[in-house]
Amino acid sequence: MVVDAAATVGIDIPVYCYHQALGPLGACRICLVEIEKMPKLMTACTTAATDGMVVHTQSQAAEKGRRGILEFLLINHPLDCPICDKGGECFLQDYVFQYGAGQARFEEAKIQRHKEYPVSPYILVDQERCVLCQRCVRFMGEYVGEEELLMDGRGVHTVITNVPGIPLTSPFSGNVIDLCPVGALLSEPYHYRARPWNIEREDTYCSQCPVGCSSSVTGRDGQVVRLEGRPTPGQWGWLCDHGRFTYDFGAHPTRLTEARLDGEPVTVGRAAQVLGQRLAAVVREHGPDAVAVLTGGSHTVEDHYALRRFADEVLGGSRAGLVKPVEADLPLALLGTFAELDQSDTVLLLGTDPYESAPVVHLALRENVRRRGLVVKALGDRHLLRDTLAGEEWVVEPGGMAAALAAATAGVSEHPDARLAAEGLAPADESLVRLGQALMEPGALTVLWDGREQDLAPALVALARARGEHPTRVLPTFGPRNWLAAARVGIPTDYETSRRILMDAADGRIQVLLLWGADPVRDFPDGDLAARALERCPEVYFGGVFPPDGAELLAGVLPTAAWAEEAGTYVNMEGRLQTGRGAASAPGQARPTRNILQAVARAYGTPLRKLDEWDPYEGTVDDRLVLPPLEGSVRPVSPPPAAESGFRLISGLEVALTHDPSEVAARTKEDRPARMHPADLADLGLLTGSGPVELSSGDRSFRVGVRGDPRIPRGRVFVPRGLRGVPINRLGGIAVAVRAVEEVASR
Amino acid sequence: MTSEELGTGGAPEWNPEWASWAAAAREEFPRAQSALMPFLHRVQTDEGWLRPEALDAAAHYLELPRQYVESVVSFYSLFRTEVTGHRTIHVCMSLSCALAGSDALLHNLEEALGVRVGQTTPDGAYTLLEAECLAACDLAPACQVNLRYVGPVPPERFQTLLEEEVSTREDA
Amino acid sequence: MKTLDRHYLLRHRDVPGIDTLQGYEADGGYSGLKKALAEFEPDAIVDLVKASGLRGRGGAGFPTGLKWSFLAKDGRPRALVVNADEGEPGTFKDRELIEHNPHQLIEGMLIASYATRSPESFIYIRGEFLHGHEVLQRAIAEATERGYLGDRVLGTDFSHHMYLYRGAGAYICGEESALLESLEGRRGNPRLKPPFPAVAGVYGLPTVVNNVETIANLPPLILNGAEWHRQWGTEKSPGLKVMSVSGHVTRPGNYEVPLDATLRELVEMAGGVRTGHQVKAVIPGGSSMPLLPAGQLDTPIDYESLVQAGSMLGSGGCIVMDDSTCIVAAVARVVRFYRDESCGKCTPCREGTYWMTDVLDRLEGGQGELGDLDTLLDVADNINGKAFCPLGDASVGFMVSAIRNFRDEFVEHITGRTCPLGARLYDTVNY
Ligand SMILES: Cc1cc2nc3c(=O)[nH]c(=O)nc-3n(C[C@H](O)[C@H](O)[C@H](O)COP(=O)(O)O)c2cc1C
Ligand code: SF4
Ligand code: FES
Repeated sequence: MVVDAAATVGIDIPVYCYHQALGPLGACRICLVEIEKMPKLMTACTTAATDGMVVHTQSQAAEKGRRGILEFLLINHPLDCPICDKGGECFLQDYVFQYGAGQARFEEAKIQRHKEYPVSPYILVDQERCVLCQRCVRFMGEYVGEEELLMDGRGVHTVITNVPGIPLTSPFSGNVIDLCPVGALLSEPYHYRARPWNIEREDTYCSQCPVGCSSSVTGRDGQVVRLEGRPTPGQWGWLCDHGRFTYDFGAHPTRLTEARLDGEPVTVGRAAQVLGQRLAAVVREHGPDAVAVLTGGSHTVEDHYALRRFADEVLGGSRAGLVKPVEADLPLALLGTFAELDQSDTVLLLGTDPYESAPVVHLALRENVRRRGLVVKALGDRHLLRDTLAGEEWVVEPGGMAAALAAATAGVSEHPDARLAAEGLAPADESLVRLGQALMEPGALTVLWDGREQDLAPALVALARARGEHPTRVLPTFGPRNWLAAARVGIPTDYETSRRILMDAADGRIQVLLLWGADPVRDFPDGDLAARALERCPEVYFGGVFPPDGAELLAGVLPTAAWAEEAGTYVNMEGRLQTGRGAASAPGQARPTRNILQAVARAYGTPLRKLDEWDPYEGTVDDRLVLPPLEGSVRPVSPPPAAESGFRLISGLEVALTHDPSEVAARTKEDRPARMHPADLADLGLLTGSGPVELSSGDRSFRVGVRGDPRIPRGRVFVPRGLRGVPINRLGGIAVAVRAVEEVASR
Repeated sequence: MTSEELGTGGAPEWNPEWASWAAAAREEFPRAQSALMPFLHRVQTDEGWLRPEALDAAAHYLELPRQYVESVVSFYSLFRTEVTGHRTIHVCMSLSCALAGSDALLHNLEEALGVRVGQTTPDGAYTLLEAECLAACDLAPACQVNLRYVGPVPPERFQTLLEEEVSTREDA
Repeated sequence: MKTLDRHYLLRHRDVPGIDTLQGYEADGGYSGLKKALAEFEPDAIVDLVKASGLRGRGGAGFPTGLKWSFLAKDGRPRALVVNADEGEPGTFKDRELIEHNPHQLIEGMLIASYATRSPESFIYIRGEFLHGHEVLQRAIAEATERGYLGDRVLGTDFSHHMYLYRGAGAYICGEESALLESLEGRRGNPRLKPPFPAVAGVYGLPTVVNNVETIANLPPLILNGAEWHRQWGTEKSPGLKVMSVSGHVTRPGNYEVPLDATLRELVEMAGGVRTGHQVKAVIPGGSSMPLLPAGQLDTPIDYESLVQAGSMLGSGGCIVMDDSTCIVAAVARVVRFYRDESCGKCTPCREGTYWMTDVLDRLEGGQGELGDLDTLLDVADNINGKAFCPLGDASVGFMVSAIRNFRDEFVEHITGRTCPLGARLYDTVNY
């Protein structure tokens, strides 16, 4: 289109309705230009640029046309820039300033419409300011495929609204705030909170899931007050609402802002001193093996580097590991990128529904489906596809994904590793052969995987080897958000390392356990082991932003600075390093990890030097981790667990439920996080389609709210991992009994 | 939700026939969203206007977002989403009819019915609406009563529209 | 102007009972279809229509045969859509054709579908035409029963299915791409082109959209040939046209005339204006077209002559205004129509018509200022040629011509603070 061609040579043609992701519409007409040999002015957004075309953007005719359109847009637009949230960030204001007429000629009455009309708990619409560019409606309806906003009425009475009583619920709805070129769609939480001239707006990357979307953080008076999407080359700048509206987590009431020793408040300096002295004493007496460090993978790369050096140099070689909410390890050699995803001939969702686990990746997939007809494949223990992302899927028994993948591969490949992985498994049936054929298609394959089922790692390696020179890539959708930072600095990220550390702690072989942002009781797949470790280890210290489960067992707590409170580097799920800047200050006594560790090291007697001279980007290629070669042998995959009667527990990761605590995002908090097939709910007597249930296995049980979801196969109950107060990692086993219970307390 | 569930408990009812009307519309127009308008016409012919439940039903049976249905309905001036009287009187206000006195006619009707254009009489007997060119300029001032043409109706003969035996909705 | 021996389009005027299949067949109905199927290859019909010079009667006057030949030739099935959304103020010819001579439309659609190799056709009829809808429903049922519609029409290899679809009150749905949107069950917003309907029309099929009257021309054309058609009208505008004459004439109605009739002849056919009154101005082709003052009444109605005179034939809705007409009020009323019927998609049409309506209402009520006239003309210029679809242009043609030709009357409204004719168009209703 002419407008894009002009942009490549640095000529800015104003647009409202046009957006490259949405395609041309031609509605607003602000982009009128004069094109030689054409009788009328043309819209630059709908006219394809051709060779030899001569376009005038500043001719008298073009300027008059544009001025006329601006004047039209203003006749029903209130002149309230001084009190408008978008004042200073508004394209109408900008263009009028740049191209508009000086004198207003319209003297008639403006149409009165809704102002500050809530279409969702997060979004207000000011219909008087709307220029009807349709970006929001088209984004929701066509791009996302969730038609929640609509154009109501006709002609000059057309407004953007929702159906009364049906608020927007899509997790992508917040993007319309960014898309709106004027101040018509407003963020309710940001409304009247700040003005463009008293804020700081810094480039950052969202901290709530491993996608790490590029964004801008707005700080005011030391607090984060807003997060917006930020387009970068190759990325549209979409955010999901879980990320967008969790920006306030740093100010959450449960945020750690003071240091504690044995439950008593102390200064950070004092706590660091005590910790340093205790560590020195323990290492002196028992050696470095008596101390271990576990990271939760949410701190920055720089912090992880400090942690690593602390373990190596100060403690003299203590073990370190990563606590992640899944049991499997990704062969890093297979780590893929979003660019590769966009070019993949085949995409497999392996146990993960990116809409839940990595929402913006869902949008990327949908765009691929729309743009180039990609047919997504899915293999899971529940239905992973959805209306907005149709494709082809295979649903297998709980715990059976690895066996299915290995059998499917072996069903169509003679490769020795494929055979080895499938050794002892039943041969692929017709349906799995079809899956195998799909996965062995020539061209590039990208697998989205949520890291459940340990045996999927060898099965994936076997698949990659069987595919030979056709690229096989894996994008891990599991958190923690910055777990690859551990990989960057050489902290082992595998399950076995952290399991060993916890076992040793539980067996009394570790005297001091240092948890850095790690919450093993909640997150570690073997929750019982983690709980035993915390109970038996004589001294557990915690540094981080929110208290972990079992906080009462801690010997000491050190509050650390969080995302946006300092500049820092994060590694996203494609292994890309991204450095965000700070826009707020850490509250209370919270301090950057590096400062705290330095203080501990000083008290220990072995200062940590030159931490700041390290460059996280050193040795990376295109800002991306350098991946190891694909090595190691494949082992046979275990057969799927035998079918048992009763319900089976399945799980997965959901950003919506496991993001940081946030008062803003709590507006739409789901209090029935578990899901079952509606018919199963009816069988349990939950005829309204939701309610509390008790899940039990052996002598363990807990209660959780459950809602109906036809995408969960019958006989299964889906409970997300990592939820506070919903300890599925302590049920031990996938056979569970489910019974409906009385509502405990009204919410 | 099924219509049976919705038809219970004193909630505004779904007409049990809607399901078959929707099916018929889909059978006749299976492609795109074409079945929507025929279904809405059928409901409006039956009830005179489109209750919110009818829009819910359209969304449900035709498998369309409720928002989509709302958006389409609001575009077309014949689709009514407010209670509508037994007789809907449309007075054409476009140029040829205006030249023949449709303004005075409309005014007389407003006086006689005691409502403004766009409103329904409290007894639910009449709804008075203005129309754009009805393609009946030879009958200027042209009107429709329940979409049946009546004209010419000189302003002083407005009573014709209220009394003359034109077909009502039931046989429309 | 050559006088007509009989009606070819308004055939029911000569032959009562023609609205039933029986009556239509008794008058030789469907013999055009039979001839087409028996004697013509589809392409030969396209050539015949090209040779006849038939031009679209929906408004733009685009050559019909040429339009058909633009259909994408990639083997996909095609579709014919008949535009029966007649809504241009002043136009009521299609309604008469539909209500009284429905089988000629159906026969014409079959011929057009055979010529364009379309297995399906659609009639998009405006929602207000409840009666017309019923008439067509019945006629289609009759034709289906008699084997004109359905599989293997009249035992030939040609199969055809016809759909009847009701709009719901939106003038913009007469615009062909908005019509297609509406036919697919969406809001009637015009579509971005390309792709043109000939490549991707209804349901994505290559589609021809033709007006009712255009299609009704086909049966006599097939029977009588291209030369017969060319005996009327002019070289570039041959044939017959149904003109709707309304406004200040004593016998408003449709008149089937050769395309070289003059406006004066039309006004006379319609009984002229009331005694004691003079024609003030005439809009020749529906309210989207500029007016011509009385002095131009001798202009022939062919497409070229009307353009030369400063207006257009449009859909043939001829509105006659006599000297009692307040031109300011007339303009206010017409612009209001476009404000109410603008779909709202594009800025200039949506906001511009709103602005002009407000100013004109003020002017008409005697509250105008002299600067308003220049503002109106400049606003019109900012709409003209800048809107997404032709409705924007349509909204300003009449107003601009009225200010040009009757500027004094506007000025008198302003300086005298009231209508000099004492004839306020809507002095009773204040809405
Ligand atoms: C705003 C607008 C309204 C229109 N209304 C009608 C209409 O009511 N009937 C019609 O046949 N054509 C109408 N047209 C013209 C159609 O777009 C189209 O050109 C016509 O149906 C083609 O048929 P034809 O080639 O047989 O004339 C309208 C065009 C515009 C821009
Ligand atoms: S000109 Fe614009 S607003 Fe008017 S009808 Fe056409 S697209 Fe709609
Ligand atoms: S940006 Fe070109 S018309 Fe809106």
